Amino acid sequence: MRVPFCRKATREEIDRELAFHLDEAARANRQAGMSVAEARRQASIALGGREQTAQQLREVHGSVLWEALSINTGAALRFLRRSPSFSFAIILTLALGIGANTAVFSAIDAVLLRPLAFPQGDRLVALEQHDDGSKDPETKLAPPRLEDWNRLNHTFGAISGYYTQDVSETAGALPERLQQVLVAPRFLEVWGVAPALGRSFTAEEEHFGGPLAVLISDRLWRRRFGAAPDLAGKHLRLGSSSYAVAGVMPASFSTAFPAHEADLWTPQPVDAPYAQSRESTWYTAVGRLKPGVSLEQARADLAIVQAQLGRQYPRTDRTLHAVLVPEKTLVVGEAGSSLWLLYGSVTLLLLIACTNIAALLLARTAEREQEIALRFSLGASRGAVGMQLLSEIGALALLGAALGLLVAAGAIRVLHQLGKALPRTGEITLNLKLLLYTLGCALLATLVCGSLPALRGTRRELAQALARGSRTQVSTRGRLPWVLVTAQVAFAVTLLVGAGLLLRSFDQLRRVRAGFDPAHVLCFQISGSWGETADMGRLTQRVDQTLDALRATPGVRAASTAAALPGTGGAAPTAFHLSEGEQDPDRQVLADSRFISAGYLATMRIPLLRGQGCRAGDPVPAVLVNRSFATAYLMGSDPLGRHLQLAAEPSYATGAAVRGVVADAREQGLNQAPIPTVYWCVEAGTPFPYYLVRTEGDPMAMAATLRAVVHTLEPGRAVYAVSPLADSLSDTELENRLRTTLLTLFAATAIALASLGIYGTLSYLGRLRQREMGLRLAVGATRWEIARRFLRQGLRVAAVGSCVGFALGWLGSHLLAGMLYGVAAADPATYAGTALLVAMLALLASAAPAWRAARINPVEVLREQ
Amino acid sequence: MPEKKADLLQGTLDMLILKTVALGPVHGYGISLRIREVSKEILQVQQGSLYPALHRLEKRGWLLAEWGESDNGREAKFYRLSARGRRQLAEEEQSWYRLAEAVSLVLQTS
Repeated sequence: MRVPFCRKATREEIDRELAFHLDEAARANRQAGMSVAEARRQASIALGGREQTAQQLREVHGSVLWEALSINTGAALRFLRRSPSFSFAIILTLALGIGANTAVFSAIDAVLLRPLAFPQGDRLVALEQHDDGSKDPETKLAPPRLEDWNRLNHTFGAISGYYTQDVSETAGALPERLQQVLVAPRFLEVWGVAPALGRSFTAEEEHFGGPLAVLISDRLWRRRFGAAPDLAGKHLRLGSSSYAVAGVMPASFSTAFPAHEADLWTPQPVDAPYAQSRESTWYTAVGRLKPGVSLEQARADLAIVQAQLGRQYPRTDRTLHAVLVPEKTLVVGEAGSSLWLLYGSVTLLLLIACTNIAALLLARTAEREQEIALRFSLGASRGAVGMQLLSEIGALALLGAALGLLVAAGAIRVLHQLGKALPRTGEITLNLKLLLYTLGCALLATLVCGSLPALRGTRRELAQALARGSRTQVSTRGRLPWVLVTAQVAFAVTLLVGAGLLLRSFDQLRRVRAGFDPAHVLCFQISGSWGETADMGRLTQRVDQTLDALRATPGVRAASTAAALPGTGGAAPTAFHLSEGEQDPDRQVLADSRFISAGYLATMRIPLLRGQGCRAGDPVPAVLVNRSFATAYLMGSDPLGRHLQLAAEPSYATGAAVRGVVADAREQGLNQAPIPTVYWCVEAGTPFPYYLVRTEGDPMAMAATLRAVVHTLEPGRAVYAVSPLADSLSDTELENRLRTTLLTLFAATAIALASLGIYGTLSYLGRLRQREMGLRLAVGATRWEIARRFLRQGLRVAAVGSCVGFALGWLGSHLLAGMLYGVAAADPATYAGTALLVAMLALLASAAPAWRAARINPVEVLREQ
Repeated sequence: MPEKKADLLQGTLDMLILKTVALGPVHGYGISLRIREVSKEILQVQQGSLYPALHRLEKRGWLLAEWGESDNGREAKFYRLSARGRRQLAEEEQSWYRLAEAVSLVLQTS
C-alpha cells in the first residue's frame, strides 16, 4: 500500500533514522561476537524488517485522517469478521432500505425536481385561453390569437404552439401510422433545440403553398433511413403529399417533448386561408420567458394583451383570458402526490430499519461492555471509543449503500417500464447526484443506527460497571429499547393505515358497476388527418363504410365508433341550451359531450331506456341523453323530441333532437360517478375516432382479420393502437394499482421488521432478566404469570405504537386525498383491522420469548449468577 | 488475535517511551537500549513497534525531534519531551494505575 500523503523529505529522514539504528544494533551484535553478515541480519530481524518498518512510519506520517481511518476501518472489519451473520443481516436490511429510498428519490429528482430537459427549461411556460363564461372548456389557441399574443407581449422571448395528428406514411413497404406534430412559427426557438442533423425550416417552408418539409425523430431516422448522414433527396409521403426531410431532431428532444410518440414535425403556415378564424381551437401554446422575467410579470403582461384584444375583437375575445402555467407543472401533472407518498413511505421504512438495527446494536453494545470498559481503562477517550462504535456501523452502512445502489439500479430499470403511469420516466438515470444521495443515506443511517449505541455504550459509568462486576446492572436501563420498538411499531402502523385505505378503495373500485361491458371489445384507430374535417360528409361516409365492412366480418357481433374511449376519462363538461321551455338563467345545463356512431349501445351493452339509438346517415342532428341528464334537466316533460344546443356554438338553428334516453354508464372513468351525458350521433367526432368492435371470442384473436378488412377497403391508411378495451381500462388505473401495490409491500415489510423488533428486544431482555425471573419463580410465581408479563409487554408496545401510528397515519392521510374512492380517510374498518393485525403480530412475536422465560429453571439460573 | 494484543500494548509502550525520553534527549536506538536496561530485560520491546510509536508521538506533538551527533560522531535523530508530552506522561501514569487495578479485578472476577 502506498501512502499518498507522505512527503519525500520525510521518506529520506525515515531511511536515515533506521539506517542509524541498524548500524548501531549491528555494531553491538558484532561486539557480542557475531559475524558481520549475521550481525546485520539479526539487527534487521529485531527491527521487524527494515522495509516494513519504514512503510509503517510512512503510514504514520500519511495523515491524521488516514491514521484514524485505517485504525477504525481495521476495527470495523474485525467486527464484520467476528459476527458475519449479524453483519450480513444489517447490510442486507440497509441495502434494501437505502436502495428503495434511492430509487424513489431518483424518480422524484427526475420527474419533480429537475427542470425540463430543455436549455433553461424552467423558462418554458404553457399558455392557455380560458373562457370567463366557462361555456367552452377548450383551452387551445386559435392561430391568429397565438400570433397576436406573440406580437403584443413584452415578457416572452417567443411564443409558439403545436398540435398533433396521426397520419399514415406511405413511402415505405406498408402504410405506417406516425404521429405528426404541426408547429406554429418559432417552435424550435421556444424549446431552444436545433436539429441534430440537417437544418430547421426555411421561411418559404413556413408559408402557405411553399415547399413541404418535415423534421423527423432520431428513431424514425434510424428505422427508416438507417441513420444515413446524408439527408439530400430523402422524402416521406404523408397522406397524399410528399415531404422533403429537412433534418433530424436529437433523440433527447423526443424523450423530453410532451408528445413522446411524435416522429414528424411539419410547419403549419400562419397565412393559410383556413387558419384565420379566431374561433378555432388548435394550438397547445408554449412560450419562452425572457431572462429575469417572473411568471407573475408574464401573467400581468398577457392580461393586458388579452384585454386589448378583447376591445379589438369583442365578439370572439371579450370573455377570454390567458392562463399561464409552468410547462413542467403541466408535464408532471398529478404524479407529484403519488411520488411524495411513496417517498414518505420508503423513508419511514428506512427509519424503521435503522431503529431496528439501533436496537440490535444497543443489545450488542451492552454485551461488549467489558471490552469497552477495558478500552477506557487504557486511557481511550470517550470520543475515540464512540468513533470506533460508529465506524463499525459506518462500514456496514457503506457496504449496505453500495448494495443498495445495485438495488436502485434494478428498480430504475423497472421505473423505465412505467411510462404509462408516470411522466418523464425516460429521464430517470443513475447519476452522480444519486451516488451522493446514497452516500448521504449511508451517513444518516450510520448516525441514526449508531449514535444511540455509541452514546449509551460509552458512558463513563461503564468503566466502573466492570469494577462492580454486576451483570444485572444492564436490566435497569431497559426503557430505551422499548422506545425504539414502539417507534418502529408506530411507523409501521402509519404505513399500514395508508396501505389499508388504498386497498379498501381499490376493492371498492372493483365492485363498481361500470354500466357498460368492456369484455370482448377490441378497439383501434385508423389514421386520418384534420384536413379531412373540411368535408364532413365525405369523412362520415368513409367511417360508415369502414363500420359496415367490420360488421360484415364473421365473428363480429357489433361495431361502432366513439371519439373517446368509454371509461377512460373525458373533457370537462360542456354547457348546453335547451331550445324549448323555460331555462333558469342561473342554473347552467352542463353535460359530458360524447360523439358516437350507430351501434354504440349494442357494442357497449348500454341499455336503451326510451326512444331509439343513433342511425347512420341521419340527415337531422340527433342526440341521446343518459338518465342523469333527463332527471337533472328534463324533469316534468317528455325528453324525447326536445332539442339541445351547444351554448358555445349555436350553429344549428333548431338544435339537435333528443332521440333516446339511455342508462347511466361510468364513461368518464370507473372511479367517477356517472354525470349528465349527451351522446351526439356523430360517427366522426375526430378524423381518427376509436373503432369499438364486439367480438364473439377473444378480441385480440380478431385483430389480424380486422386489420386485413381495413387494408382491403383503404390500403393507404394505417390501423394502430389496437388493444382490448379491458386493457385500456386497466392502463388508466395503472398508477393507482402501482401505488397500492408498492405501499402495501412497504407496509408489509415495515410490520415484519417491527415484529422482529418486538421479538428481538423481548428475547434480549429475557436473557438479561433470567435471574429476576428465576427469583420470582423461586418465591412462588407461576410460570403462566411469568409468560403473561412478557405477553403483556409485547401487547403494550403494540397498543402504544398503534395509537401513535394512528395519529401519524391520520395526519398523513391528507397525502392520500384524491387517491381514495368510496372510503373516508378516517375509515373505521381500516383502523380496526390494522389494530387487530398489529395486536396479533405482537402476541405472536412475544410468544417465543414468553415461553422461554416461563421455562427457566430457577435453581440453575440462581446458581449460575 | 494479534492486533488486539498490539492495541493493548500500544498505550503502555507510549508511556514507557515518554518516561524514557523524559530523562533527556535520546535517539531511537538509545531509547530501545534504555527501556531494556530500566525494565531489567523483562520487557522485550519489539523494536518494530518502537519507531512507529515514536513517530506517532512526535506527530501528536508530545515529542520534539532534531538531528544531532551521536556519541560516536554519527548523525542521529534525537527526541525530547515537549510540554504537552510532559502533561501526557502524567496522565498516562495515572491511567496505568487504573489499568493495573482493572486488570487485577478482571483476574479476580473471571
